[in-house]
Amino acid sequence: MNQILDELKSIPGVVGACVYSPRAGLKISNLPGIFKPERLAAVGKHLSKLYSAGRMSFNDLIDVSLHYDESVVVARELQKNLLVFVVCDPSFNHNLLTMSFNLLQEEVQNAGIEADDTEDGPLAVGSAAAPAKSDDLLGLFSEMKVLLGKVLGPMAGLIFDETLEVWEKQGRTEIGRIEALIELQNREIGDPDKIKHYRKLIDPELKNYQKG
Amino acid sequence: MATAKEFVDRVARIDGVSGCLLMRNDGVLIGQTINDSEVYSTLLMISGRQAHDVMEKVGFSYCRHLGFSRRDNCHFYVFPILDNYLLGVIQHSDCSAGDMLDTVYRLIGRVSTNRADVISMGDEYAQNEKIP
Repeated sequence: MNQILDELKSIPGVVGACVYSPRAGLKISNLPGIFKPERLAAVGKHLSKLYSAGRMSFNDLIDVSLHYDESVVVARELQKNLLVFVVCDPSFNHNLLTMSFNLLQEEVQNAGIEADDTEDGPLAVGSAAAPAKSDDLLGLFSEMKVLLGKVLGPMAGLIFDETLEVWEKQGRTEIGRIEALIELQNREIGDPDKIKHYRKLIDPELKNYQKG
Repeated sequence: MATAKEFVDRVARIDGVSGCLLMRNDGVLIGQTINDSEVYSTLLMISGRQAHDVMEKVGFSYCRHLGFSRRDNCHFYVFPILDNYLLGVIQHSDCSAGDMLDTVYRLIGRVSTNRADVISMGDEYAQNEKIP
Protein backbone atom coordinates (compact mmCIF):
# COMPACT_ATOMS: atom_id res chain seq x y z
CA MET A 1 0.00 0.00 0.00
CA ASN A 2 2.92 2.32 0.74
CA GLN A 3 4.19 1.89 -2.79
CA ILE A 4 0.76 2.72 -4.18
CA LEU A 5 0.60 5.95 -2.21
CA ASP A 6 4.13 6.87 -3.29
CA GLU A 7 3.08 6.43 -6.91
CA LEU A 8 0.20 8.86 -6.35
CA LYS A 9 2.56 11.33 -4.70
CA SER A 10 4.84 11.24 -7.72
CA ILE A 11 2.08 12.76 -9.91
CA PRO A 12 2.86 16.45 -10.56
CA GLY A 13 0.86 18.67 -8.24
CA VAL A 14 -0.01 15.93 -5.74
CA VAL A 15 1.21 16.79 -2.23
CA GLY A 16 0.39 13.41 -0.72
CA ALA A 17 -2.25 10.75 -0.27
CA CYS A 18 -4.12 8.87 2.45
CA VAL A 19 -6.10 5.69 2.70
CA TYR A 20 -9.08 5.78 5.03
CA SER A 21 -11.54 3.12 6.06
CA PRO A 22 -14.78 4.15 7.81
CA ARG A 23 -14.44 1.09 10.04
CA ALA A 24 -10.69 1.06 10.72
CA GLY A 25 -9.97 4.79 10.53
CA LEU A 26 -6.88 6.25 8.91
CA LYS A 27 -4.79 3.38 7.57
CA ILE A 28 -1.84 5.05 5.93
CA SER A 29 -0.66 8.47 4.79
CA ASN A 30 2.34 9.98 3.06
CA LEU A 31 1.24 13.58 3.46
CA PRO A 32 3.73 16.00 5.06
CA GLY A 33 3.83 16.07 8.87
CA ILE A 34 1.87 19.30 8.99
CA PHE A 35 -1.22 17.16 8.27
CA LYS A 36 -1.73 15.52 11.68
CA PRO A 37 -3.14 11.96 11.67
CA GLU A 38 -6.04 13.00 13.93
CA ARG A 39 -7.08 15.69 11.49
CA LEU A 40 -6.65 13.42 8.49
CA ALA A 41 -8.87 10.84 10.18
CA ALA A 42 -11.51 13.51 10.68
CA VAL A 43 -11.16 14.64 7.06
CA GLY A 44 -11.45 11.01 5.94
CA LYS A 45 -14.67 10.70 7.90
CA HIS A 46 -16.15 13.80 6.27
CA LEU A 47 -15.06 12.67 2.81
CA SER A 48 -16.50 9.24 3.42
CA LYS A 49 -19.87 10.79 4.29
CA LEU A 50 -19.67 13.09 1.29
CA TYR A 51 -18.84 10.16 -0.99
CA SER A 52 -21.71 8.10 0.44
CA ALA A 53 -24.11 10.99 -0.15
CA GLY A 54 -22.82 11.37 -3.70
CA ARG A 55 -23.21 7.69 -4.42
CA MET A 56 -26.76 7.71 -3.11
CA SER A 57 -27.55 10.41 -5.66
CA PHE A 58 -25.41 9.12 -8.54
CA ASN A 59 -24.85 5.42 -8.92
CA ASP A 60 -22.13 6.13 -11.51
CA LEU A 61 -20.09 8.38 -9.21
CA ILE A 62 -16.36 8.24 -9.95
CA ASP A 63 -14.74 10.64 -7.53
CA VAL A 64 -15.40 13.71 -5.42
CA SER A 65 -13.20 16.79 -5.49
CA LEU A 66 -13.16 19.75 -3.12
CA HIS A 67 -11.53 22.83 -4.60
CA TYR A 68 -10.23 25.24 -1.97
CA ASP A 69 -8.23 28.40 -2.56
CA GLU A 70 -4.92 26.79 -1.60
CA SER A 71 -5.44 23.14 -2.41
CA VAL A 72 -7.71 20.56 -3.94
CA VAL A 73 -8.76 17.37 -2.16
CA VAL A 74 -9.84 14.47 -4.38
CA ALA A 75 -11.41 11.31 -2.96
CA ARG A 76 -12.10 7.97 -4.65
CA GLU A 77 -13.57 4.79 -3.21
CA LEU A 78 -11.13 2.02 -4.15
CA GLN A 79 -13.55 -0.61 -2.97
CA LYS A 80 -16.29 -0.83 -0.40
CA ASN A 81 -15.16 0.78 2.85
CA LEU A 82 -11.79 1.84 1.48
CA LEU A 83 -11.33 5.45 0.46
CA VAL A 84 -8.20 7.04 -0.92
CA PHE A 85 -7.85 10.80 -0.91
CA VAL A 86 -5.11 13.08 -2.15
CA VAL A 87 -4.25 16.69 -1.44
CA CYS A 88 -3.07 18.58 -4.54
CA ASP A 89 -2.00 22.00 -5.67
CA PRO A 90 -4.79 23.81 -7.54
CA SER A 91 -2.79 23.37 -10.77
CA PHE A 92 -2.89 19.55 -10.63
CA ASN A 93 -3.92 17.51 -13.66
CA HIS A 94 -7.31 15.97 -12.82
CA ASN A 95 -7.31 13.67 -15.86
CA LEU A 96 -3.93 12.22 -14.93
CA LEU A 97 -5.05 11.70 -11.35
CA THR A 98 -8.27 10.03 -12.51
CA MET A 99 -6.26 7.64 -14.65
CA SER A 100 -3.94 6.86 -11.73
CA PHE A 101 -6.93 6.28 -9.49
CA ASN A 102 -8.35 3.86 -12.08
CA LEU A 103 -5.10 1.91 -12.17
CA LEU A 104 -4.87 1.95 -8.40
CA GLN A 105 -8.44 0.74 -8.06
CA GLU A 106 -7.73 -2.15 -10.42
CA GLU A 107 -4.53 -3.00 -8.58
CA VAL A 108 -6.23 -2.99 -5.18
CA GLN A 109 -9.07 -5.16 -6.44
CA ASN A 110 -6.70 -7.62 -8.11
CA ALA A 111 -4.49 -7.79 -5.04
CA GLY A 112 -7.54 -8.47 -2.88
CA ILE A 113 -6.63 -5.80 -0.37
CA GLU A 114 -9.40 -5.60 2.18
CA ALA A 115 -10.57 -2.46 3.92
CA ASP A 116 -9.76 -3.90 7.32
CA ASP A 117 -6.41 -5.47 6.38
CA THR A 118 -3.99 -4.70 9.17
CA GLU A 119 -0.82 -4.89 7.08
CA ASP A 120 -0.42 -1.13 7.05
CA GLY A 121 -2.45 -0.01 9.99
CA PRO A 122 -4.76 1.33 11.09
CA LEU A 123 -2.75 4.24 12.41
CA ALA A 124 -3.33 5.01 16.05
CA VAL A 125 -5.67 7.94 15.85
CA GLY A 126 -7.78 7.89 18.96
CA SER A 127 -11.32 6.74 18.47
CA ALA A 128 -11.06 6.25 14.73
CA ALA A 129 -10.60 2.50 15.10
CA ALA A 130 -13.81 0.52 15.46
CA PRO A 131 -14.31 -2.95 16.90
CA ALA A 132 -14.16 -5.75 14.35
CA LYS A 133 -17.47 -7.12 13.10
CA SER A 134 -18.23 -10.38 11.39
CA ASP A 135 -18.58 -10.34 7.61
CA ASP A 136 -22.19 -11.53 7.94
CA LEU A 137 -23.10 -8.63 10.19
CA LEU A 138 -21.40 -6.21 7.80
CA GLY A 139 -23.48 -7.71 5.01
CA LEU A 140 -26.66 -7.19 7.01
CA PHE A 141 -25.71 -3.58 7.74
CA SER A 142 -25.04 -3.02 4.08
CA GLU A 143 -28.51 -4.35 3.16
CA MET A 144 -30.16 -2.27 5.89
CA LYS A 145 -28.39 0.84 4.64
CA VAL A 146 -29.76 0.32 1.13
CA LEU A 147 -33.26 -0.29 2.51
CA LEU A 148 -33.06 2.82 4.69
CA GLY A 149 -32.31 4.68 1.46
CA LYS A 150 -35.71 3.58 0.13
CA VAL A 151 -37.34 5.27 3.11
CA LEU A 152 -35.17 8.33 3.62
CA GLY A 153 -33.59 8.98 0.23
CA PRO A 154 -30.08 10.40 -0.15
CA MET A 155 -29.67 11.25 3.55
CA ALA A 156 -29.94 7.57 4.50
CA GLY A 157 -26.25 6.75 4.11
CA LEU A 158 -25.23 9.50 6.50
CA ILE A 159 -27.93 8.69 9.00
CA PHE A 160 -27.14 4.99 8.91
CA ASP A 161 -23.42 5.60 9.52
CA GLU A 162 -24.11 8.02 12.35
CA THR A 163 -26.60 5.74 14.11
CA LEU A 164 -24.24 2.79 13.65
CA GLU A 165 -21.46 4.80 15.27
CA VAL A 166 -23.68 5.68 18.27
CA TRP A 167 -24.84 2.07 18.55
CA GLU A 168 -21.28 0.74 18.52
CA LYS A 169 -20.36 3.09 21.34
CA GLN A 170 -23.32 1.89 23.41
CA GLY A 171 -22.29 -1.74 23.61
CA ARG A 172 -21.10 -4.85 21.83
CA THR A 173 -21.44 -5.14 18.06
CA GLU A 174 -23.67 -8.20 17.94
CA ILE A 175 -26.96 -9.24 16.43
CA GLY A 176 -28.57 -9.46 19.89
CA ARG A 177 -28.50 -5.66 20.08
CA ILE A 178 -29.84 -5.02 16.58
CA GLU A 179 -33.19 -3.71 17.89
CA ALA A 180 -31.33 -0.90 19.65
CA LEU A 181 -29.80 0.09 16.33
CA ILE A 182 -33.19 -0.01 14.61
CA GLU A 183 -34.65 2.13 17.39
CA LEU A 184 -31.93 4.75 16.82
CA GLN A 185 -32.77 4.74 13.13
CA ASN A 186 -36.50 4.97 13.84
CA ARG A 187 -35.88 8.12 15.86
CA GLU A 188 -34.12 9.63 12.86
CA ILE A 189 -36.91 8.56 10.49
CA GLY A 190 -39.50 10.20 12.75
CA ASP A 191 -42.58 9.47 10.65
CA PRO A 192 -44.59 6.45 12.00
CA ASP A 193 -45.64 5.34 8.50
CA LYS A 194 -42.07 5.41 7.28
CA ILE A 195 -40.92 3.55 10.39
CA LYS A 196 -43.46 0.81 9.63
CA HIS A 197 -42.33 0.71 6.01
CA TYR A 198 -38.67 0.42 7.05
CA ARG A 199 -39.55 -2.40 9.44
CA LYS A 200 -41.38 -4.21 6.67
CA LEU A 201 -38.36 -3.88 4.40
CA ILE A 202 -35.74 -5.05 6.89
CA ASP A 203 -37.71 -7.90 8.51
CA PRO A 204 -36.91 -10.41 5.73
CA GLU A 205 -33.21 -9.48 5.95
CA LEU A 206 -33.19 -9.95 9.73
CA LYS A 207 -34.92 -13.32 9.38
CA ASN A 208 -32.45 -14.41 6.71
CA TYR A 209 -29.58 -13.42 8.93
CA GLN A 210 -30.94 -15.31 11.91
CA LYS A 211 -31.51 -18.41 9.77
CA GLY A 212 -27.85 -18.15 8.82
CA MET B 1 -30.11 44.42 -11.97
CA ALA B 2 -31.44 40.88 -11.90
CA THR B 3 -33.68 38.84 -9.64
CA ALA B 4 -32.57 35.58 -8.08
CA LYS B 5 -34.65 33.77 -10.65
CA GLU B 6 -32.88 35.62 -13.43
CA PHE B 7 -29.53 34.78 -11.88
CA VAL B 8 -30.46 31.09 -11.97
CA ASP B 9 -31.66 31.45 -15.55
CA ARG B 10 -28.40 33.13 -16.51
CA VAL B 11 -26.34 30.35 -14.96
CA ALA B 12 -28.49 27.82 -16.80
CA ARG B 13 -27.77 29.59 -20.12
CA ILE B 14 -23.97 29.23 -19.74
CA ASP B 15 -22.45 26.94 -22.38
CA GLY B 16 -22.08 23.48 -20.92
CA VAL B 17 -24.67 23.89 -18.15
CA SER B 18 -27.63 21.56 -18.47
CA GLY B 19 -29.38 22.74 -15.33
CA CYS B 20 -28.87 24.43 -11.99
CA LEU B 21 -30.44 25.22 -8.64
CA LEU B 22 -29.85 27.87 -6.01
CA MET B 23 -30.42 27.17 -2.35
CA ARG B 24 -30.04 29.10 0.88
CA ASN B 25 -27.85 27.29 3.43
CA ASP B 26 -30.88 26.68 5.67
CA GLY B 27 -32.35 24.46 2.96
CA VAL B 28 -34.74 26.88 1.28
CA LEU B 29 -34.72 26.33 -2.47
CA ILE B 30 -34.63 29.74 -4.15
CA GLY B 31 -34.59 28.84 -7.82
CA GLN B 32 -34.10 25.90 -10.15
CA THR B 33 -34.10 24.92 -13.78
CA ILE B 34 -34.25 21.16 -13.23
CA ASN B 35 -37.18 18.87 -12.55
CA ASP B 36 -35.76 16.39 -10.03
CA SER B 37 -34.40 19.02 -7.67
CA GLU B 38 -35.02 16.92 -4.54
CA VAL B 39 -32.04 14.63 -5.13
CA TYR B 40 -29.75 17.51 -5.95
CA SER B 41 -30.91 19.81 -3.15
CA THR B 42 -30.22 17.19 -0.49
CA LEU B 43 -26.77 16.57 -1.89
CA LEU B 44 -26.23 20.32 -2.08
CA MET B 45 -26.94 20.72 1.63
CA ILE B 46 -24.73 17.80 2.66
CA SER B 47 -21.91 18.97 0.39
CA GLY B 48 -21.91 22.48 1.76
CA ARG B 49 -21.70 21.25 5.33
CA GLN B 50 -19.03 18.61 4.72
CA ALA B 51 -16.87 20.94 2.60
CA HIS B 52 -17.02 23.52 5.39
CA ASP B 53 -16.06 20.92 8.00
CA VAL B 54 -13.08 19.71 5.95
CA MET B 55 -12.03 23.34 5.49
CA GLU B 56 -12.06 23.92 9.23
CA LYS B 57 -10.26 20.67 10.05
CA VAL B 58 -7.38 21.31 7.64
CA GLY B 59 -7.32 25.08 7.88
CA PHE B 60 -8.09 25.94 4.27
CA SER B 61 -9.41 29.45 3.74
CA TYR B 62 -12.19 29.26 1.17
CA CYS B 63 -14.05 26.59 -0.77
CA ARG B 64 -14.39 27.53 -4.44
CA HIS B 65 -16.43 24.54 -5.48
CA LEU B 66 -16.99 20.81 -5.11
CA GLY B 67 -17.20 18.40 -8.00
CA PHE B 68 -18.95 15.05 -8.28
CA SER B 69 -17.45 13.28 -11.30
CA ARG B 70 -19.72 10.77 -13.03
CA ARG B 71 -19.14 8.09 -15.63
CA ASP B 72 -21.75 9.63 -17.94
CA ASN B 73 -19.78 12.93 -17.78
CA CYS B 74 -22.83 14.81 -16.46
CA HIS B 75 -20.74 16.03 -13.56
CA PHE B 76 -22.38 17.93 -10.70
CA TYR B 77 -20.75 20.99 -9.16
CA VAL B 78 -21.54 22.82 -5.95
CA PHE B 79 -20.52 26.46 -5.46
CA PRO B 80 -20.78 28.01 -1.99
CA ILE B 81 -21.68 31.70 -2.35
CA LEU B 82 -20.83 34.08 0.51
CA ASP B 83 -21.37 31.40 3.19
CA ASN B 84 -25.12 31.81 2.80
CA TYR B 85 -26.02 30.19 -0.50
CA LEU B 86 -25.22 27.11 -2.49
CA LEU B 87 -25.41 26.93 -6.25
CA GLY B 88 -25.63 23.48 -7.83
CA VAL B 89 -24.72 23.11 -11.49
CA ILE B 90 -25.17 20.07 -13.70
CA GLN B 91 -22.77 19.85 -16.62
CA HIS B 92 -23.61 18.72 -20.14
CA SER B 93 -21.79 15.51 -20.98
CA ASP B 94 -19.96 17.03 -23.95
CA CYS B 95 -18.57 20.36 -22.84
CA SER B 96 -15.34 21.96 -21.74
CA ALA B 97 -15.62 21.91 -17.97
CA GLY B 98 -12.84 24.48 -17.52
CA ASP B 99 -14.57 27.12 -19.64
CA MET B 100 -17.92 26.44 -18.01
CA LEU B 101 -16.48 26.71 -14.48
CA ASP B 102 -14.68 29.95 -15.35
CA THR B 103 -17.92 31.48 -16.61
CA VAL B 104 -19.82 30.38 -13.50
CA TYR B 105 -17.05 31.85 -11.31
CA ARG B 106 -17.29 35.15 -13.16
CA LEU B 107 -21.05 35.30 -12.73
CA ILE B 108 -20.79 34.43 -9.03
CA GLY B 109 -18.09 37.07 -8.69
CA ARG B 110 -20.47 39.66 -10.08
CA VAL B 111 -23.32 38.84 -7.69
CA SER B 112 -20.90 38.51 -4.77
CA THR B 113 -19.64 42.07 -5.05
CA ASN B 114 -22.59 43.49 -3.16
CA ARG B 115 -23.17 41.36 -0.11
CA ALA B 116 -26.34 43.07 1.06
CA ASP B 117 -28.02 42.64 -2.29
CA VAL B 118 -27.06 38.99 -2.52
CA ILE B 119 -28.32 38.27 0.97
CA SER B 120 -31.67 39.66 -0.05
CA MET B 121 -32.05 36.72 -2.46
CA GLY B 122 -32.94 34.51 0.48
CA ASP B 123 -35.91 36.26 2.00
CA GLU B 124 -39.55 35.41 1.46
CA TYR B 125 -39.68 37.53 -1.66
CA ALA B 126 -36.61 35.75 -3.02
CA GLN B 127 -37.92 35.26 -6.52
CA ASN B 128 -38.44 38.99 -7.02
CA GLU B 129 -35.52 40.48 -5.08
CA LYS B 130 -32.96 42.45 -7.01
CA ILE B 131 -29.34 41.41 -7.28
CA PRO B 132 -26.60 43.15 -9.29
